[in-house]
Amino acid sequence: MTAEFEIDNYLDALRLHLGPLTIAEREEIVREIEAHVRDAAEQSGASLGTVVARLGPAKSLASQYRDGLLIGKASRSISPLVLLRGALRLATKGASGILVFFLAVFGYALGGGLVLTALVKPILPANTGMWFHDRQFASFGVQFPPPESHMHEVLGWWYIPLALTAGSLTLLFTTWAIRRSLRVSRRWQARL
Amino acid sequence: MAKLRAQPSGGDQPDRWEAQLRKGAVEMAALASLWRGRLYGLEIIRFLENHSALALAEGTIYPILNRLKAEGLLTSEWVEAEAGHPRKYYSLTEAGRERLGLMAQAWVGFSRGLSRLLEPVLYPTDQDLSAAIPELKHEENPQ
Repeated sequence: MTAEFEIDNYLDALRLHLGPLTIAEREEIVREIEAHVRDAAEQSGASLGTVVARLGPAKSLASQYRDGLLIGKASRSISPLVLLRGALRLATKGASGILVFFLAVFGYALGGGLVLTALVKPILPANTGMWFHDRQFASFGVQFPPPESHMHEVLGWWYIPLALTAGSLTLLFTTWAIRRSLRVSRRWQARL
Repeated sequence: MAKLRAQPSGGDQPDRWEAQLRKGAVEMAALASLWRGRLYGLEIIRFLENHSALALAEGTIYPILNRLKAEGLLTSEWVEAEAGHPRKYYSLTEAGRERLGLMAQAWVGFSRGLSRLLEPVLYPTDQDLSAAIPELKHEENPQ
């Protein structure tokens, strides 16, 4: 295999694994890596093949680019979908990433659920609320069929502002916690 | 003043800890390498090797530079070179200079505090040694 063929193969593989990026971003990256290989070979006297080998597998290099851009974009976003994608990518990196992803799913489900039940209360007042039985907490949210008569709904219409506030705070905290985790994680992605 | 010679007792992994410490500093180091002017990727790698203890795997710096550029901390331009192919030069933006200034202040403040904390570990006095190893006290003052 000639040196030129080897470098072309590597750059083709890199281009392929950079798939999700735009064509302009991909070509810019490929151009820079090619310039690096030629400069490093010229300056160190090493062969093109040796310099290519020092870059590591094309798939791994492409993954560092994709992760960096996706996690960077997510860490500045407030969109739950973008944040969850970033958290999912983080989950592929290790146990702490998996924990962040599951906490993100739980936080969004809980916060979103609370806000949704507040919106449902005016439509289904008998089915929505917080119930106590014998002075002990029994359940909250929307229930089908409505709880039996020995259960006491304790909040009434106050359920709406309380569920809206608790849900919004949970969503805000979840967003903050994911963004913070993504920012911290970016610093540990480098390969030394 | 005596030198404390300690043998690692195992259990912990100092190499891994050091690698994590370095990883945390790579972003700041990449920005710092551009403080005095524009450089291209390979020059940044060589600069970090020569001016700090940061030896990066060759492919590592490019995704970091790409991300810092996406965050608006760096700008880049292709410049024709004598080598026969253009090179991509990076420069700090105003936001990059401000961020680096804040990072440098935080780093220096943090490392000064830790250096004070670690001074007795690196340069222990006899008093430090006898406090760390109680058996020495008994040997020096047998009852």
